[in-house]
Amino acid sequence: MPDPSPSSRSWIDQLRPRLAALRLSPAREAEIIEELSQHLDDRYEELRAAGSDDAEARRIALEELDDHDALARHMRALRQAHVPPSAVEAPPRLGGLRDVGHDLRYAARMLRKQPGFTLAAVLTLALGIGANTAVFSLVNATLLQRLPVADRAHLFYIYRGNVGGVFSYPQFETVRDYGRSFDGVAGWGGITASLNAGDSAELVSGVIVTGNFFDLLGIRPARGRLLSTSDDVTPGAHPVAVISYDFWQTRFAGRSDVIGRDIRLNGHAFTIVGVAPAGFSGPQLGGARHLYVPMMMQAIMRPPRAGYSGEQNPDLLKNPTNSWIFAVGRLKTDARLAEARAELDAAIAEFFRTRMKLPPGASPPRTSMVPVDEGNAGQRQQIRSVALLLGGVVGAVLLIACANIANLLLSKAAARQRELAVRLALGASRGRLVQQLLTESVLLSVIGGAAGVALAWALVEGFRAAPPPAGGLPIAFDLSIDPRVLFFALLLSCMTGIVFGVVPALNASRPVLVPALKGASGSVAERGGRLDLKKMLVVAEVALSLLLLTAAGLFVRSLQSTRAIDTGVDVERLVSLPLNINLLRYTRVQGREFYRQIVERAERLPGVESATVSRIAMLAGTTRILSVHVEGRAASHDQVYSENSPVVIGDPTLINANVVGPRFFKTMGIPLLSGRDFDETDTEDRPPVIILNATAAAIHFAGSTPIGSRISVGGPQGPWREIVGVVRDSKYGSLTQDGVPVVYMPLAQNHETGMTLYVRASVAPASLVSPLRREIQELEPNLPVPAIMPMTQTMGTSLYAARMGAWLLGTFGGLALLLAVVGIYGVLSFSISRRTREMGIRLALGADRHHVFLLVIRDGMLLVMLGVLIGLGTGLAAARSLGAFLYGVSTTDVPTFVGTVALLCAAALVACAIPARRAIGVSPVTALRQE
Amino acid sequence: MLAITYVAMTAIDRRMLDRELKKGSAELIILSIVEHRARHGYEISRLIESRSAGQLKFHIASLYPLLYRLEERGWLQGRWVEKPGQRRRRFYRLTAEGRRVLASQRHTWKAFVTAMRLITGVDHA
Repeated sequence: MPDPSPSSRSWIDQLRPRLAALRLSPAREAEIIEELSQHLDDRYEELRAAGSDDAEARRIALEELDDHDALARHMRALRQAHVPPSAVEAPPRLGGLRDVGHDLRYAARMLRKQPGFTLAAVLTLALGIGANTAVFSLVNATLLQRLPVADRAHLFYIYRGNVGGVFSYPQFETVRDYGRSFDGVAGWGGITASLNAGDSAELVSGVIVTGNFFDLLGIRPARGRLLSTSDDVTPGAHPVAVISYDFWQTRFAGRSDVIGRDIRLNGHAFTIVGVAPAGFSGPQLGGARHLYVPMMMQAIMRPPRAGYSGEQNPDLLKNPTNSWIFAVGRLKTDARLAEARAELDAAIAEFFRTRMKLPPGASPPRTSMVPVDEGNAGQRQQIRSVALLLGGVVGAVLLIACANIANLLLSKAAARQRELAVRLALGASRGRLVQQLLTESVLLSVIGGAAGVALAWALVEGFRAAPPPAGGLPIAFDLSIDPRVLFFALLLSCMTGIVFGVVPALNASRPVLVPALKGASGSVAERGGRLDLKKMLVVAEVALSLLLLTAAGLFVRSLQSTRAIDTGVDVERLVSLPLNINLLRYTRVQGREFYRQIVERAERLPGVESATVSRIAMLAGTTRILSVHVEGRAASHDQVYSENSPVVIGDPTLINANVVGPRFFKTMGIPLLSGRDFDETDTEDRPPVIILNATAAAIHFAGSTPIGSRISVGGPQGPWREIVGVVRDSKYGSLTQDGVPVVYMPLAQNHETGMTLYVRASVAPASLVSPLRREIQELEPNLPVPAIMPMTQTMGTSLYAARMGAWLLGTFGGLALLLAVVGIYGVLSFSISRRTREMGIRLALGADRHHVFLLVIRDGMLLVMLGVLIGLGTGLAAARSLGAFLYGVSTTDVPTFVGTVALLCAAALVACAIPARRAIGVSPVTALRQE
Repeated sequence: MLAITYVAMTAIDRRMLDRELKKGSAELIILSIVEHRARHGYEISRLIESRSAGQLKFHIASLYPLLYRLEERGWLQGRWVEKPGQRRRRFYRLTAEGRRVLASQRHTWKAFVTAMRLITGVDHA
């Protein structure tokens, strides 16, 4: 507003009070005042020109404003006087929020009015969202879990050499004492103990820890106290134990009198002093540890691995070469990682230089530090692969579900054209309509999501009620529906609603007004637009479901292949059970006697043909690895001895080694190919002998017989063992490994402290489980016998993951097929209903009903074939990524692809046939009347 | 809601005209004043007074609310115009819709006046 003239200033003083009651916006009020001031100025000038003096002219001009309220009264009816300034200036969001509330109420009413559609959509969404939520709960229980420790940002696992490398106890002490960048370093080792709480002995997985372990991790007890530095003083003088929360609940029923309870661990008396907090299952994620004992109790609780007997009992707290300790350190807040590593490297290097014999030219190992949150990298990678596969599968199912519902919504939108056209004509903006339609979709999806959470909960509870067998899965985890999973379900529900709702909403908010207002229904002319979109969705559904079915088919074929594997042993008649006498520190004499007696007792049982013992359990996944030297051949490699390592294949300097009792090959059903079996002459005071399997013989003695030759598995200096026989190959570490070279040595010449008993039965193997357990408990009450299993069950355990994969993929593939078939049926039905008039005309003009039937079928199958082509292409590409999960079947397995395409086409044909039959049932008269 | 128009009457007896008549005629008057060219508010009020020979006067409190109302209906379009050396003024001109309304109201008014003449005039059918 320009500067007012001197007279105008007095007009403003007159005008403003007369406009105040209207509460106009400042800008509008200023405009009106400017205009009215000019009017008064003009009046004043005119009066002055006519001869009035200033006061007179002013008085006359102001007479027009005599009625003080007139101006406000006359202006009140105007729109600009009614809009309050705050509403005019407020951001549109306020209006938007009110709209959302209205939209939600309206959406709820619309859903209530069509219960059939709502129920179908909610069920479909529940399946899709529920499956995704269940898979996310797996991701939540594994990849997203964190160790429940204090200030994890400063906690690091410390490894010798590469990640996963362990220290001997003296090496650990060096790391602990020289790590100046650390507030503390704690150590632990994994143990398996026999725990006897009064009734019988059981095997428990646990950890032996240094006194500062719990304090360093910041763990507080749930009951009693945790181990402390006062329990870490004198070797053998601290028979105390802490149990896990889960173990306390399951094994001791959560009783408060567990503190102070006496138990026997490995036959020795201990006292339970505390319970670890809920949620803490050990120093590494994925392990379920239930027992914690002090490091000073090593001699009882952590014996050396097999190869030692009770007489040879090297003190692992003093032995510098026996490596078995994991370390974890808390970095000081002002310390730098690089400096800490350098300190540790220097400490270890010094240790190796002074206390270990390093070969000339060899350098001491360095150290690695890994944040505790990264945990076991190999394990996490494995879980990530599985999670990606499962996530991809359930994601595809959800997409198919979305496509189905989008199709349903597109059909319904066609019926709501008139309503939407009227609203558009009355001035509703397109954005407003889209917002309302999207609100309906999201509400529907959230309801479906709530049902999906209930489904996911049922799946999770089902999994917990029937957990995998021990060893069935590589890691332990606890599935649950926690707040994070619920939040994921909510987010997924909202996004799903937007995904399936946005295209129908955009489409529906753009009707052609005049025909819509007239209520014109579909006619011959209706082609393209919405119908093309629906067809595209069906094609996408078919492609996705073929993808899933193909993956399922490959997994099923893979499972069949593994089931058909020739294990090389007579698994139908075998029972196995572990004998961990190393836990009881038997002497060599005691151990020998124990094995002899248990085999004798087993063979005396009715229905037993023979019994034997074996150091390496079949299909356990791990083995002993030794270096191999052939006498008379030059070799540059050194001695290697490794326990519990993955099976080695393809390295001619290494071999997998087993130590077996008498009648091993006969009991296992492994035929002798040449030479002889071990016999009574192969005793300790006789020259050592050895038997090879066919693969080992082929590798080292190709083209000649190995019988009579000598090899050493103890280094290039011997002892040289004579090869007395060659046996057929049999499955060793896992069902899916072939060509594993193995050597066998007789127990009589190589004492072992941990064996597996195998019993060959002429009756049902399962019937021998109880008698065998009784025999062992009579012989040695302190020996835990955790799992007596027929070999078929052991095989089942090793196939658990493959079986579960086939089951899951098969279920989801079937679900996807069902949804796709429903989608095809829905689109064709809709199309028929919109083309009733066309069908009627055709029939009225004499078209053969058979021809009309085929027309409809053709329309439907064209979509299906297009989807099949796309699905085949993507399936072939995607199957390549499944290679790692499959056994015995290629990723381009023709029978699988042909079978799934045939299945899909057959189901689709049925889905097309039903609306096709309806089409030929149209009465021409009725159809022509319909408009 | 139509505003009640207060028209200052000088010579004519106020009681002779009811509210509705005043209301209807005010709009017709304004629309016809700006029929041929755009005018500002004071000019409109002076023209009304001069063309009615002083019979009709529109005070500021009734003229401008009426102009704003006609503007809201889309019959008039108001625009600020700044000429060199002068203060800016708001000019009002007739819109296309306003022209249609003016023609319609003229026709109605003519018919009404004719009817009134026939009913109240000397000549009887």
